[in-house]
Amino acid sequence: MFRMKKGFTVLSALALSFGILAGCGTANNNSADSAAAGGSESPAASNSASSSAPVEIQFYFTGSQNVKNLWDQLTPMFEEKNPDVKVKLVYIPSGTGAQPTYDRILAAKQAGKGSGGIDLYEDGLPVVTQGQKDDLWDTLSTSSVPNLAKVDAKTMQDVANLAVPYRSSAVVLAYNSEKVTQPPRTLDEVFDWIKKHPERFAYNDPSTGGSGSSFVTTTLYKDLPEEAIHSDDPAIMKDWDKGFATLKELGPYLYGKGIYPKKNQGTLDLLTSGEVDMIPAWSDMVLEQLDKGQLPATTKMQQITPGFNGGPTYLMVPKLSEKKEAVYKFLDFVLSPEAQAVMVKTMHGFPGIQLTNMPQDIQDSFKGVSEGFRNFNVGELSKEINKRWQSDVAAQ
Amino acid sequence: MRKEAKMGIFGLCLVIPSFLLLSVIVITPIILSFFESLRNESGGYDLSRYVYLFTDEGMRANIVFTLQVTIVSCVIVLAVSYALAVYMRFSTGRLVDLIRKTYMIPIFIPGVIATYGLINLLGNHGWLSRWLLLFGGTLPRIIFDQKGIIIANLWFNIPFTTMLLSSALAGIPNAVIESAKDIGASRLRIFFRIIMPLSYKTFLVAVTFVFMGVIGSFTAPFLVGPNAPQMLGVSMEQVFSVFQEREQAAAISFFTFLLCSLLGYFYIRSMVKEETARP
Repeated sequence: MFRMKKGFTVLSALALSFGILAGCGTANNNSADSAAAGGSESPAASNSASSSAPVEIQFYFTGSQNVKNLWDQLTPMFEEKNPDVKVKLVYIPSGTGAQPTYDRILAAKQAGKGSGGIDLYEDGLPVVTQGQKDDLWDTLSTSSVPNLAKVDAKTMQDVANLAVPYRSSAVVLAYNSEKVTQPPRTLDEVFDWIKKHPERFAYNDPSTGGSGSSFVTTTLYKDLPEEAIHSDDPAIMKDWDKGFATLKELGPYLYGKGIYPKKNQGTLDLLTSGEVDMIPAWSDMVLEQLDKGQLPATTKMQQITPGFNGGPTYLMVPKLSEKKEAVYKFLDFVLSPEAQAVMVKTMHGFPGIQLTNMPQDIQDSFKGVSEGFRNFNVGELSKEINKRWQSDVAAQ
Repeated sequence: MRKEAKMGIFGLCLVIPSFLLLSVIVITPIILSFFESLRNESGGYDLSRYVYLFTDEGMRANIVFTLQVTIVSCVIVLAVSYALAVYMRFSTGRLVDLIRKTYMIPIFIPGVIATYGLINLLGNHGWLSRWLLLFGGTLPRIIFDQKGIIIANLWFNIPFTTMLLSSALAGIPNAVIESAKDIGASRLRIFFRIIMPLSYKTFLVAVTFVFMGVIGSFTAPFLVGPNAPQMLGVSMEQVFSVFQEREQAAAISFFTFLLCSLLGYFYIRSMVKEETARP
């Protein structure tokens, strides 16, 4: 009997808390709705009202702790200059809820409820293209966000002006400069180096991290036409044979005669412990770990030509957001050299705007690595690459 | 009679919550994933996913590899644990006290941390290989190899298994053993005629626990295992979240479930036999 009573208590407590949560949910919706209604009536009115009460924009972003630190630092800087706009940061730790955020924007649109209270969203290229198909993102222009002019026009073309590439990083060769005096400059030279220095090179299992994946993809597309890296046409799959043969052939010359560590950090650990002398790695991870002293100071970076995969992280404005004016202001700030400098310092990413807009010391620090990377966008094909790599290369 | 009926209802009430929980978090998912695993690429229903499991070379290697690791781990874990438990039960002294106080420690160390510890200890440039180097020896490859997974499994499973077996051995009355000694039974005879039969049931429980724990393990095989072949857990994760073939992942998980339920069957059968043997 006692047990049952306890059960009831637990149940009623649960019911209560759900009730409260549900209440919160509706309250939120109400405020969002009313704000939306205000916006749709007359944008001018809401603008004039903003001088008295600041417009609050909801910014959803995901990533590791360093991304959160960046926005925690940038937002107060922005709000100080723009007292009429408040940025509400909604941080979703990576791996817990990026997809639901996208689903929420999509569901809100399908249900005719605007943008679901999300005014700005941060994610990678796949989400940008996904949203392009679902017609979710607002088309941006230099008239609404003047600083967009500082962004490379080609990068904007790639995403049809639907997203702002505000920072990026690339895969580069990270090497121990004590052992390697003349780092390879092309992929063929890399293969050569690997064969001449058995067991001193490692790349990670491509399904567990972007740096290994980039090494594999770059190898597969080495002799294929340049346009192929932007295509997700399955017809190309038969042309991978040569690349996979190369990877298979390299196997015995790699670390442990064919051991592919897990995750991007797996190969970095090997470089730190001196078990290998050269790895493909993400530039921001290398820079950050050099800064913290985790990697030996003798570690250097080199991009090859044609380059490894690299790419920006994007900010997207949901098309149905009712606070676009305020969001544009925020975007313009994010792309200002001042905000970009903060990003470079805290995250070691490449600036989203072209390097010539940045202070000289920052331009110098990216010499040799910030250029030359290519933006592979093979969509669903990357799944096929991983699958075939597992059966052809790992299980050889 | 009325009292019995009451007791019966009370018993049912006690069972129903756990049964409901079981059906929601175990039985339903198993049935769902079974149906999922029958869907083929064109949307129809057949056994193609299972055919793939046994015809694809990589997959077959994964299954063999998993069974190898599981069986070797089970044998070593049970041998070591049983020896430890018997030793702790029938010996006294400082060493025994020390073992008794410390053998549970691995249970309280989170899996990921323990695994990284093992990598640091046994890796190519780990502590062990550095010590060995002083004496001119070299370490065979342990990390990123089958041996690494087995060693990690020993670390994870020995403490709990020892605990289980110790409690079974503690239940054997000293009087029984002493009287056997009195009538001149040798040590070996006591072990095989008294200790073994009395702890046999717990031994089976322990086998089941170790087998299921190892066959479904993920963290250690993911971090210290080779790229190929993989343990089924690692392969399942890859098929599910990297290749995004839900049906194939469901087939692997259902196959793993079948392997476990095979063992479960023997376990339950022996339990039922014991129950019915009693008056």
